[in-house]
Amino acid sequence: MTLDVTATVVFCALFLFVTWLGFVAAHWRKADLNLLHEWGLGGRRFGTMVTWFLLGGDLYTAYAFIALPALVFGAGAIGFFVVPYAIIIYPILFLIFPRLWAIAHARGHVTAADYVRDRFGSRTLALAVALTGIVATMPYIAVQLIGMEVVIGALGFSTQGFFGHLPLIIAFIILAAFTYTSGLRAPALIAVVKDLLIFVAISAAVIVIPAQLGGYSAIFNAVPTEKLTLPAPGENSLGSYSAYFTLALGSALALFLYPHALTGVLSASSGNVIKRNAGMLSAYSLIVGLVALLGFMAIAAGVDKNPAFAAGFAQYGPNFAVPALFRASFPSWFVGVAFAAIAIGALVPAAIMSIACANLFTRNIYKEFWRPDCSETDETRMAKIVSLVVKIGAVVLILAIPQTYAIQLQLLGGIWIIQLLPPVLLGLYTRSSSPQALLIGWAVGTGLGTYMAATQGFTSSVYPLTVFGFTVPGYAALYSLVINFLVVVALTPLFDLLGKRRAAAAVP
Amino acid sequence: MARDKQKGRWWRYWPRLLFVLPFVAVLWVPFYNRIEPELFGIPFFYWYQLLWILLGAAIVLAVYVIDSRIGGGTTSSDGKEDETGIPGGTL
Repeated sequence: MTLDVTATVVFCALFLFVTWLGFVAAHWRKADLNLLHEWGLGGRRFGTMVTWFLLGGDLYTAYAFIALPALVFGAGAIGFFVVPYAIIIYPILFLIFPRLWAIAHARGHVTAADYVRDRFGSRTLALAVALTGIVATMPYIAVQLIGMEVVIGALGFSTQGFFGHLPLIIAFIILAAFTYTSGLRAPALIAVVKDLLIFVAISAAVIVIPAQLGGYSAIFNAVPTEKLTLPAPGENSLGSYSAYFTLALGSALALFLYPHALTGVLSASSGNVIKRNAGMLSAYSLIVGLVALLGFMAIAAGVDKNPAFAAGFAQYGPNFAVPALFRASFPSWFVGVAFAAIAIGALVPAAIMSIACANLFTRNIYKEFWRPDCSETDETRMAKIVSLVVKIGAVVLILAIPQTYAIQLQLLGGIWIIQLLPPVLLGLYTRSSSPQALLIGWAVGTGLGTYMAATQGFTSSVYPLTVFGFTVPGYAALYSLVINFLVVVALTPLFDLLGKRRAAAAVP
Repeated sequence: MARDKQKGRWWRYWPRLLFVLPFVAVLWVPFYNRIEPELFGIPFFYWYQLLWILLGAAIVLAVYVIDSRIGGGTTSSDGKEDETGIPGGTL
């Protein structure tokens, strides 16, 4: 594909603008960035609007803007599960997280592992929480790179070989540098630009493209009927119905357990800021619903049959659908704006994810097991270095291993991260759950969920659970979470009893 | 008396029961897995779910408003924290 010079110039200009913004952010709400809660949580001072932009920029990632319409483009209705998902995340956010924020604020927690350590008094459980968070987040950063690479390729650059990867590597060096200096303030400020660009790009797309294609009825008429709705389940099975709903519910329960989501939540200035955002963030959900529809617009526009895009589809598969649709429908300068929105949409979550991983490693591994006496300045310096290491790791992950592995790891990440729900949720209301029981529940859930994904060859996280000859296909994360909870409930009284016996035996 | 207090505290959270609605609305997939009736050429499956994004947001905001009316003047922990939120509540 030929290089689109105008689009590339606009793209680079916007990229340079946010780079400048990232460095300037260090002076925004000036404070001592040698303190971890300042560098890594923005001083917990973000009000309703900043939190809205930050969480919007954080949760609705570049990969979603590329992979979601690609799924709808390829598989149809099932990809729309993100809409019920985006509907039910907000009641969950409202019910659970203001309380978590209040505890974390009062006790000075920076990470979920800090909180679990404090609530249950177990270093091992906290370590499990920290490791799960880091391992689940790494591939999530890596898939952001996939989103970025597709738009760079769609501008007309070759993304093969070392020189092909160079734009990606440069973007990540820039990202690493401003995250190092400005901490969470950088993505918070850049998120404002990213979200505005996304709003503009998607609003234009859902107005201009249907107008070109002859309206929404023409678009849906062009889509093969079997893609428009979920296939009706066969006999003795709930088929795609249970898969659809469990994917939505499981993903919704997992979302705010991700370290980057929690970092966004904890940086809010009050519990009420979180509650207001639980209502206001739905604006982004609407954007996501419309983004999903872009997949159908790509079908109607026939971009996959356009010879100009054949090479792109050959290289990137369905992920090329949205970039091709934009190039086919918009003038070059606007293509530059839209692609910049997606690339910046990769930077914001990648920055927050690496900060969140750095916080976890420093607080819950380095300080806990290695140097308990390190000063606050040392702690923050360590976190800054780890944020660099995490980003290098993500780049290596995406360049060294086949992309399908990164995607499969990200799929597994969802199954792993949801296992943190029992300690996080139970810690809010009770401290009486036994940390040993929680640890065993976590191990069983993680193992079982991984096994379920393995039976599907790691290509799908939908496991066909069969009970008495009746099949209920469902999201492996949700099934393994249920087992995790059951283990905790069953073993807690047992460990309580053992604890009492031991206490009694210790009395002479 | 202690019991009355506890009961009062529980009732304070009744608006949150409204959160059942969005879950039920999207739980029953066979209900909305259909093409008719279309709206502006958009099949039911799609506009029904997109509509629930707006309804879901309205419910969350309604619960927030009712919640803070009921909780207004009491010493709820997040109410107090809000005043300390440094540069105002909005920015």
